[in-house]
Amino acid sequence: MTLLKKWLDKLSLLDLFDGLGVTGRHLMTKKTTIQYPEEKKEPSDRFRGMFRLDEERCIKCTLCAIECPINIIYIDWHNEKNEANKSVKVLDRFDVDLKRCMFCQLCEEACPTVPKSIWLTTKTYELATYERNEALYLDIDKLTEWDENVKPFTITEQG
Amino acid sequence: MSPATLQTILTAVKILLIVMVVPAIVGFVIVYAERRIMGFMQGRLGPNRVGPQGLLQGLADLVKLVTKEDLTPTRAEKVSHFLGPVLSVIPALTALALIPVGESIRIGGVETSLYVADVNVGLLFLLGITSIGVYGIILGGWASNNKFSLLGGLRSAAQLVSYEVPMGLSIVAVLLMSRSLSLVEIVRVQDRLHLWFIFPGLLSFFLYFVSGVAETNRNPFDLPEAESELVSGFNTEYSGIKFAFYFLGEYTAMIVVSSVAVTLFFGGWLAPFPHLLPGLRIVPGIVWFLIKVGFFIFCYIWFRSTFPRYRFDQLMNLGWKWLIPLSLVNIMVVAGCVLADTRHGRGLRGLGWVYTGFFILLFALSRLRRRLAAAEAR
Amino acid sequence: MSRTPEQDEADYFAARAKAAAALHNPPARTVEAPKTLFDVTEMELNFGPQHPSTHGVLRIILKVDGEKIVDAIPDVGYLHRGTEKLFETETYPMAIPHTDRMDYVAAATSNHAYCLTVEKLLGVEIPRRAQLIRVILDELQRISSHLVWLGTSGIDLGAVTPFWYCFREREQILDFFEEYCGARLTLNCMRIGGLPFDLTPRWAEAVRAFIDDFPKKIDDYETLLTDNRIWKKRTVGVGVISAEECVEWGLTGPVIRGSGVEWDLRRAQPYECYDELDFTVPTGKNGDTYDRYLVRIEEMRQSAKIIRQCLDRLEPGEIKGKVPRVIKPIAEEVYASVESPKGEIGFYLVSNGTNKPYRLHVRPPSFINLQALPRLARGHLVSDLVALIGTVDIVLGEVDR
Repeated sequence: MTLLKKWLDKLSLLDLFDGLGVTGRHLMTKKTTIQYPEEKKEPSDRFRGMFRLDEERCIKCTLCAIECPINIIYIDWHNEKNEANKSVKVLDRFDVDLKRCMFCQLCEEACPTVPKSIWLTTKTYELATYERNEALYLDIDKLTEWDENVKPFTITEQG
Repeated sequence: MSPATLQTILTAVKILLIVMVVPAIVGFVIVYAERRIMGFMQGRLGPNRVGPQGLLQGLADLVKLVTKEDLTPTRAEKVSHFLGPVLSVIPALTALALIPVGESIRIGGVETSLYVADVNVGLLFLLGITSIGVYGIILGGWASNNKFSLLGGLRSAAQLVSYEVPMGLSIVAVLLMSRSLSLVEIVRVQDRLHLWFIFPGLLSFFLYFVSGVAETNRNPFDLPEAESELVSGFNTEYSGIKFAFYFLGEYTAMIVVSSVAVTLFFGGWLAPFPHLLPGLRIVPGIVWFLIKVGFFIFCYIWFRSTFPRYRFDQLMNLGWKWLIPLSLVNIMVVAGCVLADTRHGRGLRGLGWVYTGFFILLFALSRLRRRLAAAEAR
Repeated sequence: MSRTPEQDEADYFAARAKAAAALHNPPARTVEAPKTLFDVTEMELNFGPQHPSTHGVLRIILKVDGEKIVDAIPDVGYLHRGTEKLFETETYPMAIPHTDRMDYVAAATSNHAYCLTVEKLLGVEIPRRAQLIRVILDELQRISSHLVWLGTSGIDLGAVTPFWYCFREREQILDFFEEYCGARLTLNCMRIGGLPFDLTPRWAEAVRAFIDDFPKKIDDYETLLTDNRIWKKRTVGVGVISAEECVEWGLTGPVIRGSGVEWDLRRAQPYECYDELDFTVPTGKNGDTYDRYLVRIEEMRQSAKIIRQCLDRLEPGEIKGKVPRVIKPIAEEVYASVESPKGEIGFYLVSNGTNKPYRLHVRPPSFINLQALPRLARGHLVSDLVALIGTVDIVLGEVDR
């Protein structure tokens, strides 16, 4: 009986026709293609994109530079006296090498300020440049001003 | 102008049309259709940027291929390297000369037939011409000075030569039914008998189409040009217009196989059900022919997107151990039915009903068994 | 008998001189002319580092006799990045993004294995919610990795459509990961002691909706491939390896399960909360490519089942255990492993009491499974080699680290 069943299946080519049916059915389904660049997919809120620095909030603790697995953050600061004659840290140099960043978010996690002074949740992923030097070192002006409308995002809700 | 000169000029015009129009159709329509339809079957949109809905994609491909650098490997055999694609395209285009697209048309008082030549040994000529196409692949594979190309070329040659036998034998069955080798005559016989040869020749059609797919190196028999295994096989070292020629040869062969299948089995330019639906005869024969050939090209594309590939030894096994015996059995069965009633073809009609009933039964039983097995497993 | 230092030195210099002589005066190559017209010799082919049958940069030195493979020697190292050395220069939390990049198709399980290793040494207890979410992430990653395998395996053997269907499903999974931890491929989704983030409000429902729909999609893939006679012809009887040999070679994952041995770390050495979940471990019978295919398809279904159970058991709670700010484990050696989609991935950690590991060695399943390739390939045809590389399911990032 099983032999008969086996021969039946073999002769009728049913497996091949079923396969044709699957692809034929998919011919008519709605396609999930997103026509980039006219349509773009919106990244999620936690998406780790381009990082951004807020100079005023930064307390120059250099914890982000210490935590970075690839050591691409270069921070220089010096002490200055402000109006109230207190010694404050002033940032000289905050360079990040965009070419080597792997967007792992460890610098954001290490930052002790609330809200964070360096954050990656900027929903930006189109980072290609025409010149190599445009991505080489992002000096502090570039880091803080490349996009005005970005707000830091802190994760508060529970699942 | 004497009628003979007129006919010669008309023949020359028809040849020119074939040589110019068919590559254009291949490049613009079939390549675009294949990419678009395969894309749709795979759940994505195919090319849709060049021109409205991507219709000019063929033009873009053509421009790209023509402007590409035409490389010949340093130690390749130059003459053979050049001849390979040429020998692949010419037989395919020549075969198109025989295929009748319609009965005849009158344009402005001039009546001309819709085929270039009505060779009275048409089928034999076709088989011979497609055999020459094998040379193109062998030469291309060998002349490239590349181990992979050589392997691909030899494999392809073996495959093509092996699958010519079941192709020829399945055509013999049609020959028995139609008593003539001429393609135009075969369609006329189908018209006269009001019986398309697909009904008594279901098995022949199946064998012919499978052999045809193998002859044109298409999935599931496309091992010689499979990308993942031999890096594109015999056409690895070709680029630019020579590659375009190989492409053209392959797609033209596809058209030839589909057209011959339509002519032999599906009535060529005839409308379906001429008795039941006489209104359908308003549509000119050429439109019917194009619809039918288009459906078969769609089947080619459908096969390509569905099936995995046969390994080479399994491919040869299939051809020699299954298709050839089946085609011999088929010849005997058809011969018996033809003998049963040589005048009106009642034997053939009976065979057609037997086939129909048999396959319906087979499908029903298979589906039933499948459904039972699924219910059991749950 | 002991040799004096002078004798040792003399030996050393003699060997050096011999090697130098061989280098500068190589022996003349004698190629024997073939005796008859049909003398068959082996052809040595390079299934080079670049070939369209992807899987990465793997070079296989093939010795073929016509079409039959006589020997297939993998030559790896084209993707070596010195990951294990990098580990020695970084602190424990910094190493997690590097573990993503080894098996880049299944990053969550690599992260998980590493975190388990360090947690074992620290003695941290992971809260229940973190355990459940880790299992969900692992199983989602398993489905994603098997989808990649199915797609690429199909393409290697000529079936071009399952690739697109699988990647369409995988897009949804990658979207889940993106919504959870911010990245799609190199996840960095686990921390030592737990997880970095809690779930967003609608994540659980979205995953549940996906899981409820998923078995139908697997049915689609199966209709296209499982009963297809061409697929069966290409995979049945190809690359048969027996259960004893699997155990001898140390193969793990679907490779050993396809040969009939029911060895799954989730059952044999349960970690996280696998001991309370209900799932079957699929095994094959013959140990050929078809059986491994069936095992992986069934694993995808079982993963869907596991995810559903975990989602049902989710309750609010902590997501990170008590871990010190600077991680300085005791000076001990520890090994912990996890069942990744490719096999058993394990980390062997030797700590010396500082905040950087002294030595962190990875047990990569792909590397160890790849060692069986010459054994599998002998006697088969060149066309089967492609199927075999696919069935062993290697990721070169893990093979080379």
